[in-house]
Amino acid sequence: MQIQVKCSCGAEKCPEWAIIELQGVVEVQPSFQHSLQNLQIGLLCRPSSQENYTFTVGYHELTGYKVALKKPMVVLKKIKYMDVERQIDEATSSSSCVELDVVGFIRHKILFKTRPTTLISGPQPTVKEKINAEGA
Amino acid sequence: MLLNLQPTSSVSIQYHPFFGPHDDLVLLELDEKLLSDVLYQRVTLRGQPDEDAVLCTKSKTYLVKFVGTSNSVFLIPPADYSTSHESGGENYNQQVPTASVIKVAPGNMELVEVAPRLDKLKSILSENLYSSDEASTAMGDLYKWDDLINKVQASDDELKAGLQALSAVEIDGYWRIVDEKYMDVILRMLLHNSVLNDWSLDSLVEDKVVSVLESDGFPRKLVYHCLNVYGSRVEEAMDGGVWRLDARRVCVHFARGILREGKRKMESFMEEWLRMIPEEIQPSFDLLEGEVLTEKLGVETWVRALSVSSLPTTPADRFSILFKERAKWEWKDLEPYIRDLNVPGLSSEALLLKYTRRSQPSIDAEPVFSAR
Repeated sequence: MQIQVKCSCGAEKCPEWAIIELQGVVEVQPSFQHSLQNLQIGLLCRPSSQENYTFTVGYHELTGYKVALKKPMVVLKKIKYMDVERQIDEATSSSSCVELDVVGFIRHKILFKTRPTTLISGPQPTVKEKINAEGA
Repeated sequence: MLLNLQPTSSVSIQYHPFFGPHDDLVLLELDEKLLSDVLYQRVTLRGQPDEDAVLCTKSKTYLVKFVGTSNSVFLIPPADYSTSHESGGENYNQQVPTASVIKVAPGNMELVEVAPRLDKLKSILSENLYSSDEASTAMGDLYKWDDLINKVQASDDELKAGLQALSAVEIDGYWRIVDEKYMDVILRMLLHNSVLNDWSLDSLVEDKVVSVLESDGFPRKLVYHCLNVYGSRVEEAMDGGVWRLDARRVCVHFARGILREGKRKMESFMEEWLRMIPEEIQPSFDLLEGEVLTEKLGVETWVRALSVSSLPTTPADRFSILFKERAKWEWKDLEPYIRDLNVPGLSSEALLLKYTRRSQPSIDAEPVFSAR
């Protein structure tokens, strides 16, 4: 079978997405686990004109930089739909078609790969950063 | 805008209102040169549900592999990305602008260029060879171009080249491989008529050949096919439609016919082979490289058929069969049997290194290749 790769927004209008990458895992306080919507993870700052960034998550401050991906990426969305015509012909209910739609592309990411520094004082974090065991 | 965050400013990173696993959103890493093919809808994924997915451009085939990461990759769509009226993304109404994470990606897909999977093409087209008693054998599965696209993991260009390499012909919209025995009948009829009508095998006039053979009862399509399989168009001919028979292809055809029943002693083979080859064609045993193997059994030299076209296209399988046929090979005998192997990124030296063991019995002896 053949799955078409489409770009329904059109090649020229295909939007750029962003990535923030951390070596670690972000943990949400148990009481907030089920209401993540709009919950702040952290504050991303660009202190100077250089492409250096800080990301403050809970008590931790990470420093990183924006880097161009060595190879671009595209964001694909799998679309499953029922082929109504085929359903009628084959009298089965599981005739589905899959398409892939390019919904965006990515050329840069903001990468944080050094050990975070701990802020001495700060608000009680609802979200905190945990260093990955294999991490930095 | 997260991507253009200005110096001395900040943006609050939040979970998107629709944050979730979103298994239907995947990242695919690709070479810059493929990006426009993807954006302009020139690529497809091909394969059966039980096969690994491959991505095809017009001329190349790539295996799609998933590469995981232990990092946290926060995926942030543009401001207006939303699946309902409730908008997430970036928001300039608040004092601090925000950017929302829709998903934490577990990794991304990447592409590895591979040789097209053409072994399947050969096996499905061989299910129903086109033969002289076509009317009674035309049952079972026949394949049109669109059927082949759905079944064979290869790009359009590679599929076309594969069909050509198999000497397949499109008859009534279906791609068919013609039975060798039937091709033999047509070729012999052509040669027989050449003698009768004093045609030169170097300049066969298409119209004449087709009309004579058609009146002998052969379908037009197959006569053209015969010319294509055993000859080449003479480009320089003014009024088009002039063909020259190819010595190698004709000689190989007759050799295969003789050896179909099994191996033969060299003298017996040569005698029959030379007898069958038309006068105009100069045969030489070298023409059969990649088609026959010779072996010394006692004092006798024997010849048997081994056609490179009957061997698998994947290197591991190809070498495995070659070493089953013969344990040790000299380069001059081995080369014609691996010349056509195509592995993107691997030279023939690299292939030898990977799949064979090279040994040299003595300094002035020829190096010999055997299985690893």
